[in-house]
Amino acid sequence: MIEALRARIAVHDTLSKLLRQNARDYPGDIALREKDLGIWRNWSWQDYWHRVRDFGLGLHALGIGRGDVVALIGDNRPDWLAGAIAAHSVGALTLGVYRDALEEEVAYLLTYGEVKAVFAEDEEQVDKLLALADRVPSLRHIVYSDPRGMRKYDDARLIPADSLAGKGRELNAREPLLFDSLVDGGRGDDVAILCTTSGTTAHPKLAMLTPSALLNHCVSYLIIDPKDASDEYVSVLPLPWIMEHIYVLGKALLSRMKVNFVEEPDTMMHDFREIAPTFVLFAPRIWESVAADVKSRIMDASWLKRTLYEYGLARGMKAFARGRHSRLADLLVFRALRDRLGFTRLRSAATGGAALGPDTFRFFQAMGVPLRQLYGQTELLGAYTIHTAGDVDMETVGVGMEGVEMRIEQPDANGVGEIVTRHPFMFSGYYKNADETAADMREGWMHTGDAGYFNPAGHLVVIDRIKDLALTARGDRFSPQYIENKLKFSPYIAEAVITGAGRDFLAAMICIRYSILSKWAEKRRISFTTYSDLASRPEVYELLRSEVETVNASLPPAQRIAKFILLYKELDADDGELTRTRKVRRSVVAEKYAGIIDAIYSGRPAIDIDTVIRFQDGTTQRIRTTLPVADLAPPPAPGEGGKPARAA
Amino acid sequence: MAKLLEINDISLRFAGVRALTEVSFHVGRGELFSIIGPNGAGKTSIVNCISGRYRPQSGRIVFEDRDITRHRPRDRAWLGIGRTFQNLALFHHMSVLDNILVGRHHLLKSNVLTGALYWLTGARREELAQRARVEEIIDFLDLQSVRKAQAGTLPYGLRKRVELARAMAIDPKLILLDEPMAGMNLEEKEDMARYIVDLNSEFGMTVIMIEHDMGVVMDISSRVMVLDFGKKIAEGLPEEVLANSHVKRAYLGEEDDVLTSPDDAPARETAA
Repeated sequence: MIEALRARIAVHDTLSKLLRQNARDYPGDIALREKDLGIWRNWSWQDYWHRVRDFGLGLHALGIGRGDVVALIGDNRPDWLAGAIAAHSVGALTLGVYRDALEEEVAYLLTYGEVKAVFAEDEEQVDKLLALADRVPSLRHIVYSDPRGMRKYDDARLIPADSLAGKGRELNAREPLLFDSLVDGGRGDDVAILCTTSGTTAHPKLAMLTPSALLNHCVSYLIIDPKDASDEYVSVLPLPWIMEHIYVLGKALLSRMKVNFVEEPDTMMHDFREIAPTFVLFAPRIWESVAADVKSRIMDASWLKRTLYEYGLARGMKAFARGRHSRLADLLVFRALRDRLGFTRLRSAATGGAALGPDTFRFFQAMGVPLRQLYGQTELLGAYTIHTAGDVDMETVGVGMEGVEMRIEQPDANGVGEIVTRHPFMFSGYYKNADETAADMREGWMHTGDAGYFNPAGHLVVIDRIKDLALTARGDRFSPQYIENKLKFSPYIAEAVITGAGRDFLAAMICIRYSILSKWAEKRRISFTTYSDLASRPEVYELLRSEVETVNASLPPAQRIAKFILLYKELDADDGELTRTRKVRRSVVAEKYAGIIDAIYSGRPAIDIDTVIRFQDGTTQRIRTTLPVADLAPPPAPGEGGKPARAA
Repeated sequence: MAKLLEINDISLRFAGVRALTEVSFHVGRGELFSIIGPNGAGKTSIVNCISGRYRPQSGRIVFEDRDITRHRPRDRAWLGIGRTFQNLALFHHMSVLDNILVGRHHLLKSNVLTGALYWLTGARREELAQRARVEEIIDFLDLQSVRKAQAGTLPYGLRKRVELARAMAIDPKLILLDEPMAGMNLEEKEDMARYIVDLNSEFGMTVIMIEHDMGVVMDISSRVMVLDFGKKIAEGLPEEVLANSHVKRAYLGEEDDVLTSPDDAPARETAA
């Protein structure tokens, strides 16, 4: 089967050629589904192909051609995919932009890519583009799919998606052979996709990907996690992300698994359950929030349900720990949970992007979700390590896929060093940035910037970014992220930031998980008004103190948290404090909260706060409060430090 | 602009209380017309006269060139007048979907007998068509995630939106909104204002709205009428009304001018 796939790619070496072939071989089979007005609507391979053809010829008629860049921004919808493959068909490059990107980020990407046309889903995105006005002089066309709220605009660049497709249909009627010849003109080795890297520090870089690399890497992935036309996938990861490219563009075209699009982000869990997909990849945060959601619902349930749940769960976890399976637990708890969460048909499930709390990992595994960890980078076409079925060790990210070579550069005494990788289907360099390409790609090896080591079983263990390993003033090495992840597994903690580099001890800034703590407070009749108010309650401090102490108990003395505060607001991607994939931007946090951090280390028992926070709608709120500093233990005496901590 | 609704000299009394005194105005097709005024000024009374809950003792109400002064409320709904209530009036134990479907009840042809023969009589086809229309409204008002939820369990702001959905479901030419934003927070108000503007401009529904939030009223209305003690004291474009000294005195809380008695001031204004 794998040989057949590689041979197929050799002939149909671009996404449009492959789609055309699917439309010829399986015209009536379902390719995509979209929930619209409450009903799942099917797109056959032929419908998909026709939409691509109409868009493609429409773009051609607008003068978009070889080497031009077309950007896409909006929710996950069939038109996003059709727009992307259509752009590839006429030789253009596509650039996916995250739908919640701010104006500035959009401006940067569009200017850098000299984007000529944008597929913007709706008014929200069009607003952003029109607000940029003439800051992006190259932008000539804005295609929108949802006409709602667009009446008020009178901008010559705007064109409804259906009109674009109409233009394409007319052209096709006049020149029926044109589109095929355009598609045939594409080559698998021409760069087709510009994929943004996650960029925790500066502007994202644009990795250039060729269709042949994308498709061939997908085959490597399919070897270890096979998919076929009976598989169902629900597309909820951001489409501009490399992994969603892999699933909905690469793997779906190769394996013909069906891709489903939910109605609205709000209805995701509900629609997800209706489809009951056979594969799912969630970021660790999502797995954790699903688990937390289950817990918070159980807290609200009746006494009987709660008791049964707790009994069944304990039994199931105990059996799982001994490598067995409890049928009673399945009957009492797990079967219902799988059904509620839409996991009944799951054959494969994955997490990646950051470490997942071991308890969450165990929770889902015991439930019967075949969860595995994967690891990769945009430059290396996403995931290239994964657990093989039956060899899942939650401390590791598994082994390399076929053809993947990895080594550890400059390992220290414990074998920890930079992870360096190469495989045959990598990126072709950064767009318009040869310097960065040369810096990261040396002699054909990609230097990932991640610190890791191989365990005795040959699994790769990833600790953290090399540059993020920190050193305290006493000379103890630690990984802030590792400790943060441990903290964040507490249901009461939404985010945490560990500080301590160059300081005498470690401290934590913690954001409470409001949804759970507010219920907890209600139940105990603790009155509060806002997030800030709840976070400053002494009862909440007491609760969080015990959570932090639990985490401390699992850490070597030198890496224990000596002091913590509960922050008055949640960290937010819109304030630049988190990346779009919700990783903490340390430099931003360190700068923004420098006053608080200094105050913690100055030994004061409380910090006065007087600040203004700005909401998404532009309104501001002044916050005046006093943050108590919780003091857990005296800082350890010098020389008491343990080994550096390692992340799972 | 063609007149959709004309109110001629209506007066309404409850025993000794004069709720409305010879109020006249008209609303053009496609307008977003707001009525403002202090508590007890008669705003809701006017809306109730238009929707047929109250019958004025004198005066005429003309809708699309037809005198509807003596029509029953349900006949007015049939003609194309929909409304929401100041205090919510939803069916709490029914789903959001069913609540909205109720709004389409007057358009159904099936009855208890034909409905029982679901597949034979076209009742099924009819239900599908009605559902499709309801889904468009759900999409318009972003109610997808609560489609199947029980109306009574929803937060207040959402229930207001469901009520608007039900009013929209009768496909009205004229929709009467009685304080659509009362009790909402800023974000909910902004959303609601958007929906009202959109249903006016995209669905082409003419809107008469009672609202206390002056910011919203001045922002989105095409014309504004001001009532005080059951009398009209001003009518015009938002900026004209805002500049009117009597309005300031009566409504926006400026000190009352002791030298002018409240009775003759409005009289001069309406005569102008």
